[in-house]
Amino acid sequence: MRVLPANTNGTGVEMPADIYMVKLGMTMTEGTVAEWHIPDGGEVKTGEDLYRLETEKVEMEVEAEASGTVRHLVPEETTVDPGAIVGYIYAPGEEIPAELPGADAPAAAAPAPARVSPVAAPVAAAAAQGGGGRVAASPAARRLAKELGVELASVTATGPRGRVTEDDVRTAHEAAAAPAPAAPMAVPASPLARKRAQALGVDLAVVRGTGPGGRITKGDVETAANVATATAATGETPPAAMREDEVLAVRGMRKVIAERMYASLQSTAQLTMDMDVAMDDCVRLRTQLVEEWSDEGVRPSYTDIVMKAVAKALLGHPRMNAQFSDTELTLRGEVNVGMAVALEEGLVVPVLRHVDQLGLKEIAMESSRLAAAAREGSLGLDDMAGGTFTVSTLGMFGVDSFTPILNPPEAGILGVNRLRDSVRWEGETPVRQKAMTLSLTWDHRALDGAPAAQFLASVRDYLEAPFRLLV
Amino acid sequence: MAETTFDVVVVGGGPGGYVAAIRASQLGLQAALVEREHLGGVCLNWGCIPTKTLLHTADLYREMQQAERFGLTAEASFDIGKVVSRSRAVAGQLNSGVKFLMRKHTVEVFEGAARLTGGGGVTVERDGETVAELGADSIILATGARPRSLPGLEPDGELVWTYREAMVPTTMPSSLLVIGSGAIGVEFASFYRALGAEVTVVEVLPRILPVEDEEISAFARGEFEKQGITIHTSATVESLEKGHDSVTASIATENGVIEATFDRAILAVGVTGNVEGLGLEGTSAAVDRGAIVVNEWLETGEPGLYAIGDVAGPPLLAHKAMHEGVICAERIAGLETARPMERRRIPGCTYCHPQVASVGLTEQAAGEAGFSVRVGRFPLVGNGKAIAVGDTAGMVKTIFDADTDELLGAHLVGPDVTEMIQGFVVAMGLETTQAELMETVFPHPTVSEAMHESVLDAYDRALHM
Repeated sequence: MRVLPANTNGTGVEMPADIYMVKLGMTMTEGTVAEWHIPDGGEVKTGEDLYRLETEKVEMEVEAEASGTVRHLVPEETTVDPGAIVGYIYAPGEEIPAELPGADAPAAAAPAPARVSPVAAPVAAAAAQGGGGRVAASPAARRLAKELGVELASVTATGPRGRVTEDDVRTAHEAAAAPAPAAPMAVPASPLARKRAQALGVDLAVVRGTGPGGRITKGDVETAANVATATAATGETPPAAMREDEVLAVRGMRKVIAERMYASLQSTAQLTMDMDVAMDDCVRLRTQLVEEWSDEGVRPSYTDIVMKAVAKALLGHPRMNAQFSDTELTLRGEVNVGMAVALEEGLVVPVLRHVDQLGLKEIAMESSRLAAAAREGSLGLDDMAGGTFTVSTLGMFGVDSFTPILNPPEAGILGVNRLRDSVRWEGETPVRQKAMTLSLTWDHRALDGAPAAQFLASVRDYLEAPFRLLV
Repeated sequence: MAETTFDVVVVGGGPGGYVAAIRASQLGLQAALVEREHLGGVCLNWGCIPTKTLLHTADLYREMQQAERFGLTAEASFDIGKVVSRSRAVAGQLNSGVKFLMRKHTVEVFEGAARLTGGGGVTVERDGETVAELGADSIILATGARPRSLPGLEPDGELVWTYREAMVPTTMPSSLLVIGSGAIGVEFASFYRALGAEVTVVEVLPRILPVEDEEISAFARGEFEKQGITIHTSATVESLEKGHDSVTASIATENGVIEATFDRAILAVGVTGNVEGLGLEGTSAAVDRGAIVVNEWLETGEPGLYAIGDVAGPPLLAHKAMHEGVICAERIAGLETARPMERRRIPGCTYCHPQVASVGLTEQAAGEAGFSVRVGRFPLVGNGKAIAVGDTAGMVKTIFDADTDELLGAHLVGPDVTEMIQGFVVAMGLETTQAELMETVFPHPTVSEAMHESVLDAYDRALHM
C-alpha cells in the first residue's frame, strides 16, 4: 500500500508529496495513524514502511511512494477521515518550511487524539488537483457549484481520474443542506406508545416497531417491557436491542460460491499444511523492484512474488499442477495460476496464464489488471478460465494461517498469510526477521503428503532465495 | 379443456373479492375472478349501496314532511316504483364500475360457479356445464354469506321476505313485522316506517342493535319508538301463519304471547357463510358455524387456500372484507409491509334514523376485559350545528382506559355520525391518547364538535355542558 505520487505544480518544480490517510474501501469512514515508522524529520526511501494504519477492521502498513524527508502533520494515535493529509515527504534538497502547508494549522497543533479534517476528502479528488489548486471538474459541475455556492475543493469526486461531476456537487450541496438529525424524536412511536414507555420505563430506542413504517405501537412497548421483566426474573441478560434476524436470499455470486465450495469439500480428499518462510530477502527484493519500476507504475506485490515462486515450483512438481478424476490423473501442460480477489458481494478467481513464462514485472502488471477488472466487474470469460492452481491471499487482514478450499478440478491452492516479525536463532543469539506462513491445501487423491510437502518446500526455497525467481 | 393458469384466482366478486383481485394485480400478480351472479356482490347489488339509496330517500321524505319547521311548504308523496328503480339504477351503475375496474387492472373475469378440484385447480361451471378450468398457486374464497333462516319462519319471497325482496317492494305494505334488530333489521324498519308503514320489530335479545353500546341501543330505541316503531325485545316469533296477502305472527314476549297480523314480514336474523358447493370437503380447510376458519393472515388449513369477508366469519361488513382482500393479496405477493388487521378497530355503521356508528369496545366489553374506564358523553342538544339543522337526537360516548388514557371505544348516535366515526378510527389507529384528541382543533360549527366535547367530558373538561 503506497501513498500517491508526488504533486507537481505544473511547472516541473517538485512539491512535497502528500502522505494520505489511505482509503482502504468504500466502507472505511476513518483511519488512525497508529505508529509512525519514520520519525518526524527522518529520511525515507520509496517502498519503505511509513506508518501503520489502523481502522476498525484492519491494520496495515503504508509505504512511502517518494524518497525524502518525512514531516508529520499529525501525531501518532490520531484518527482522521480517509483522504486526509497526515504528513509530507520533502524531496532531497527541497526547502522545508517552518510551518507545514496544506492542512489547517490548528489541526497540526492539536494534541492527540484530536481529529483532523481532511483538506480534500477523497484521495481521488486530491490527486486530480493541480499544484495551482484547480480541482478537476466537469464544466457542468463548475457551473452548478457556482450556482449552489459549493466549494469545489470540498466535493467528493467520483468521476474518472478524480473529476468532480455534477452529481458530486449536488450530493455535497444536499449533504451540507441536510439538517443535523434530531436525536430524540427520531424514533417513530405513537403517542400512546410514548406514554406507556415512560410509565413502564422502556427505552424506545431499543423497541422494535411493528406499526406502519416501523412505528412503535403500544403493543411493542408492552412486549418489550414484558421481555425485560421476564429476563430480569430469570436473571438472563436481555437480547441486545432485540434486533430481528435478517434473512438474505442466496442468489447470484453467493449461490455459485456456496455450491462450488460445498461441492469441493464433498468431492475431494483435501487437507492443509502450513510452512514458514523467512522473507527478509523477499522484502528487500520487493523494495528494490518497487523503486526500480516506479516510473512505469508497476508495483509488484508479495502475492505476485509468491505466484512466480509457485509457477517455478509447479514445473518441478507436476502432480501439484494436476487434475484428478476417478480413472486418471491429468498432469496439466500449462501453468495457469488463479488469484482469488475479494469483492463486496463475494469472490472471483481470475487466472494468470502461463505464469511460468512470465517475468515478475509481467506478473505484477497482469495481476493488477485482473484485480482492477474484477472490481469493475469487467472480467472476460478468458480471464477466468484454464486455471491449474490457485493462490489466495488473506495476509492483508492479518491472517497467520488458514485452510484454503480447493478450486476444483485443480489439485492445489496456496494460502498467502501476513508478513510478520519473527525470530531466527544465530547460534545463541536471537535475530529479528520477517516471516510469512504459507498454507497449502492439496488433493490427497492426486498426491500424498510427502510430495506435497516437497512442493511447498520448493516454494519456500524460491522465496528465501528470491534471486532464483529472476533467472 | 386446457387449464388456464393464474397466480391468484379469487372466487366471488363482492367487495372482498374484487378488491383482493385489484390489489393482487397492483402487486404484479396475474389475477382471475370467478363470479356466479353480479360483480360487486351483495354489498353493491343487494346490500349496502341500494339500501343507502332507499334510506336517503326516506330521510328526504321525512324532512319534507317536516318542511314547515323550516318555514318551507312542501307536499310530500312518493311513488314506490320510482324509489325502487332509482335504487336499482345506482346498483347497476356501480356494478358496471366494478367491471371497468376489472378491465383496468387486467383481472380476467369468469362468469359461473367455482369449484375447487384440488392441487390449485378451479373449475367454473355455468348451467351445469364446465366453462373453464383454472389453475392457481393461490386461491382466495370470497363467496360471501346469505340470510339465515329459522325453522318455521322460512322466507318465501312473497309474504316472508329477506333483505332481497325487502329492497324491491312492488307495493308499500301498510304493516310490517321485522324479525331481528341488527343493522339490516333496523335499517328496513327505519325505511318502511319513514314511508308510513306500521312497523313492529322483534328481537330475541334484551335490546335492539345488540352489538352496540347499551346506552346507544337504549337511545336509539327511544328515538325509534318516538317515530312510532313498536319494539319487542327478549321476544321470539314462535310461528308465522301465512294468509292470502298477510301473515299472522305469534310473538312470545316477557308479558305473554301476542298475536298480530302484518302485510309482510322481513326475516333479518343474521347470515350464514356460502361454504357449500365449493369443493371444500376435499381440502384441509375447516368450517365452523357456517364460516371458513382462517388465521390472522386469512390462511385456511389448506396451503394456498385463503378465505376473506363474510365467508371467513364476523364482523359481516364490506369494509372488513375489502381490507382482508388487501391483506390477503399482499400476503400472497410476499409484501413485507403487510400487516394483519386490528379487528378491534373495525368500525360499524347503521344507517337507520338516527344513524348509529361505533368503533372499539363498548363500556360493558371494556369492563369485562378488565379495564377501568373513563367515560365521556356529550348529547347533541348541546351542539350548535345539530340545533341549526334541527336534528338534535343524538349523543357521542367515548371510553378511555383510565390507566393508560388509550381510547378504547367510541359510540355515536345522531345525524351524519356514520361520516364522523372515522375521526375516532384514525385516532385509535394512531394510538392517540386523550391528550392529542383534546388538543385537536375541531371545526365550528359542526356536529363533530360533540366528539371533542365527549373526550373533554371523559376528563371532566367539557366546555359546553
